[in-house]
Amino acid sequence: MRPLLFLATLCTAALAQQKQADFYTIDSIPLPPGEVMEIGSIALMPGDKVAVTTRRGDLWICEGAYGDDLTKVKWTRFAHGLHEPLGMYWKDGSLYVTQRPEFSRIQDSDGDGIADVFETINSDWGINGDYHEYAFGTSPDKNGDVWITLCLTGSAGAASDWRGWTVRITPDGKMIPTCSGIRSPGGIGFNAEGDTFYTDNQGLWNGSSSLKWLKPGSFQGNPTGNKYHKLANLPAPPEPTSGSRVLAEHLKFPDYIPPAVVLPHGKVGQSPTAIVPDLGGGKFGPWAGQLYIGEQTHSQVQRVCLEKVNGIYQGAVFHFLEGFQCGIIPAKLDDRGVLFVGGSNRGWGSRGNQPFNFDRVKWNGKTPFEIHTMSAQPDGFTLTFTEPVDPAAAANSASYSMEAWTYILQSGYGSPEVDKATPIVKSATVAADGKSVRLVIEGLVRGHVHHLKAPGVKSASGVTLWHPEAFYTLNEIPR
Amino acid sequence: MLPHRYPLLLSLALLAPPLHAQDGEQLYALYCSACHAPDGKGATGGAFPPLAGSEWVHGNPKRSVAIVLKGLEGPIDVAGKSYNLAMPPQGAVLGDDQIAAILSYVHSAWGNKGGEVKRDLVRAARSEFESRTEPWTAPELLKILPLEKKPTALANLTSRIYKGQWVQTPDFSKIEAENVEEEHHGMIDTTIAGLNQDFGIVWEGDFMAPVNGEYTFKLDADDGARLILNGHPVAEVKGLGPIGEKRRMSEGKVALKAGANPIRVEYFQGKGNQGISLGWKLAGAKQWKWLSPKNAQSQGAPTIPLLPKEDRTVIYRNFIEGTTPRGIGFGFPGDVNMAYSADNLAPELLWTDGFIDAGRHWTNRGMGFQAPIGENVVTLTAQRFLPPSARFKGYSLDPKGNPTFHVKMEGQLLRDAFAPGPDGTLVRTLQLSGGTSVLEIPLGDNPSVTTEKSVSLAPGKPVTITYKLR
Repeated sequence: MRPLLFLATLCTAALAQQKQADFYTIDSIPLPPGEVMEIGSIALMPGDKVAVTTRRGDLWICEGAYGDDLTKVKWTRFAHGLHEPLGMYWKDGSLYVTQRPEFSRIQDSDGDGIADVFETINSDWGINGDYHEYAFGTSPDKNGDVWITLCLTGSAGAASDWRGWTVRITPDGKMIPTCSGIRSPGGIGFNAEGDTFYTDNQGLWNGSSSLKWLKPGSFQGNPTGNKYHKLANLPAPPEPTSGSRVLAEHLKFPDYIPPAVVLPHGKVGQSPTAIVPDLGGGKFGPWAGQLYIGEQTHSQVQRVCLEKVNGIYQGAVFHFLEGFQCGIIPAKLDDRGVLFVGGSNRGWGSRGNQPFNFDRVKWNGKTPFEIHTMSAQPDGFTLTFTEPVDPAAAANSASYSMEAWTYILQSGYGSPEVDKATPIVKSATVAADGKSVRLVIEGLVRGHVHHLKAPGVKSASGVTLWHPEAFYTLNEIPR
Repeated sequence: MLPHRYPLLLSLALLAPPLHAQDGEQLYALYCSACHAPDGKGATGGAFPPLAGSEWVHGNPKRSVAIVLKGLEGPIDVAGKSYNLAMPPQGAVLGDDQIAAILSYVHSAWGNKGGEVKRDLVRAARSEFESRTEPWTAPELLKILPLEKKPTALANLTSRIYKGQWVQTPDFSKIEAENVEEEHHGMIDTTIAGLNQDFGIVWEGDFMAPVNGEYTFKLDADDGARLILNGHPVAEVKGLGPIGEKRRMSEGKVALKAGANPIRVEYFQGKGNQGISLGWKLAGAKQWKWLSPKNAQSQGAPTIPLLPKEDRTVIYRNFIEGTTPRGIGFGFPGDVNMAYSADNLAPELLWTDGFIDAGRHWTNRGMGFQAPIGENVVTLTAQRFLPPSARFKGYSLDPKGNPTFHVKMEGQLLRDAFAPGPDGTLVRTLQLSGGTSVLEIPLGDNPSVTTEKSVSLAPGKPVTITYKLR
């Protein structure tokens, strides 16, 4: 009997371990043969077409990307000769593209399937020939404005107008400088409420990569581009003190908006990129209203839940999808729940080993057991779960542990994790429906990343969490 | 009890490898392997520099520590290949212990033969370089921490530099050398001349053969080169041409006695890229040993020349040398080429003999400005002359892909169209609509392409200019 018993134990263990393939399928979409398809932006078009731009400046349209048989996809090169586009959407018969030097409308006016109109809507920001002066653009916001975030020169200087700023382009083509303090963005987009966020990479004045809220008029922490306030007749924010902390500088100058969600360097990623809100009402999993964040270096997609406390956004990042074959740059989620991601390994390496990729991710309808949201309380956090928890395990405070830290805000590159603290989980109370747990925690630290580990939590059916950890950035402690 | 205890100890030892090695490998996987690859060979099939077998990792570990602490950017040659990337500094992110662990792993993994990198070394380097805020460049770092040369088989090496224009390797015995140097590093390296074009080098010395036997030598050069051993020609690369092409490479076999065998290498450089590679192996050996600093010369970016396809004009929008950052290149059928500046709102460059090489911008991070392929570039104008209110509004393309640029001014629209004409000409049609103002448009002073120096453009009265490029 012993061998049989051993086998049974093994089976239970295997069942208790959730994995990505149980819930999500990643399909590689075949690319036009012989073409270098380093994808920088994706636009969803009517008629199940998907457009992509490449870093080499081509614009291709793919038919069949939703199909069951991906060998039947058909690609048409719609345009070429664009300048490193990193943002695109479709509206009223045209593709709108954020190129390095300008925001443009591209159209096929004679209907032959090839673009022939390249209208410059705005080109009021500077470029000087530096490769790092990237421009990432959004789709229109609720006012019809397109947000464009402008990387610093060489990611360290501001040699051209409006470098280190985010600008808006209005429907009539005017540029409104909107936020300063940008370093090196990897992506820009909206949350479900329509507020604008961007991802900024670890570096000068950036202790760790993070997701930042582009509140109009705000300063984002890197003072290099502040010399352009005078172009807009605006007062420049005070220069942060090198060696300080984000919280300290925010308290001195409230328009310095702290990162909404720090994406701890190394632990969560190294180069965050695309920002995709889940507006599909749960067609890509039970995450309606949350955000997905692309990650270039780790070839992953992370999940973020946000909340606003005392007027400031904050929230948690969770590990989510992994194993893409390339560093992810753009992503778009269709309202039917199909996530398209594209990428490139050129110039910056990733865990994937392909030079470029274009992938489709679908949810199979099965709900993983996962922390759904993490929200701050005056004396701890509330966790919600996608499935009812095992009350005994979830009510045991030993099922959780927490560490907290922050980063130095400094003119040098990056930061170690500093000011470490170990908040103590004093109690865990499971709600009657088993779908949430109230953690009372001693020793929360305002301004710190709070790294929660919950290895002891099990679902009512006995599985452990798919990703048993979360990283919450506690900008504000609710009263 | 003994028989029982021994295996237990042994298995514990196997389970717990030295803490450093284990930590270092994990930390390497987390922080470094995305670019340098888990096997140390450089990620994405070697698009990033390798650490396995890298001469940068060989020898003094302080060099590696300096790079990890402060980062490194710009051109660098690693294991015979050129890269132009940027490694971000890790000094603020990783502690002394972590850097020591990672580099101990890197210096001893994948066949690298360095030892443990001590935490104290990292700490000392951190304090020594504390005031440095910029990443290193390779030349800067080499000045203070040069690569350790592994001795080559060349002893008593001298070089003689000659100047002259040749199309094949000349008889150097009839020419006076400009310069003679001893080359203690024992390397055949053309960069010692410090010249770009029209020069020759002759190296002489002793090839120290380890044993009696038959040796094979492999020679390649840009441009020509000749190898002579014990007074007999062994290999020759003839005439002008690039390095790295099989048809030009030359191999020769020669029997040598153990010890000193007089060797002479002759080389000449015409124009463009330069370089030489010389390798040898003993009969039966698999690996080439190299007497030149690189075994496979890849000078920067590969070549990706763009051409019009199917009689349709090709567009290249990127940083083009000679015009402004908002330059837009057009390669028209018939090898007539133009760069338009969307900053200055005018065509600025015209040329023939090849459109543009996209290799610089379409590989690595795409740094810098790229000059046209054709060398006779005519600059029409190089400044903005339209009123400050003038705005670039983009371009439309005709069915052949030929552009009409749109410039909007107060109450007026300028249409500026370009299409190839017969016999190597470019036809420009300017058209102004709206308002009554007449626009003066300078055309530059280039009688070789057009005798007109400016046009007066009145609304509703198009003007055509024909530029003669041949």
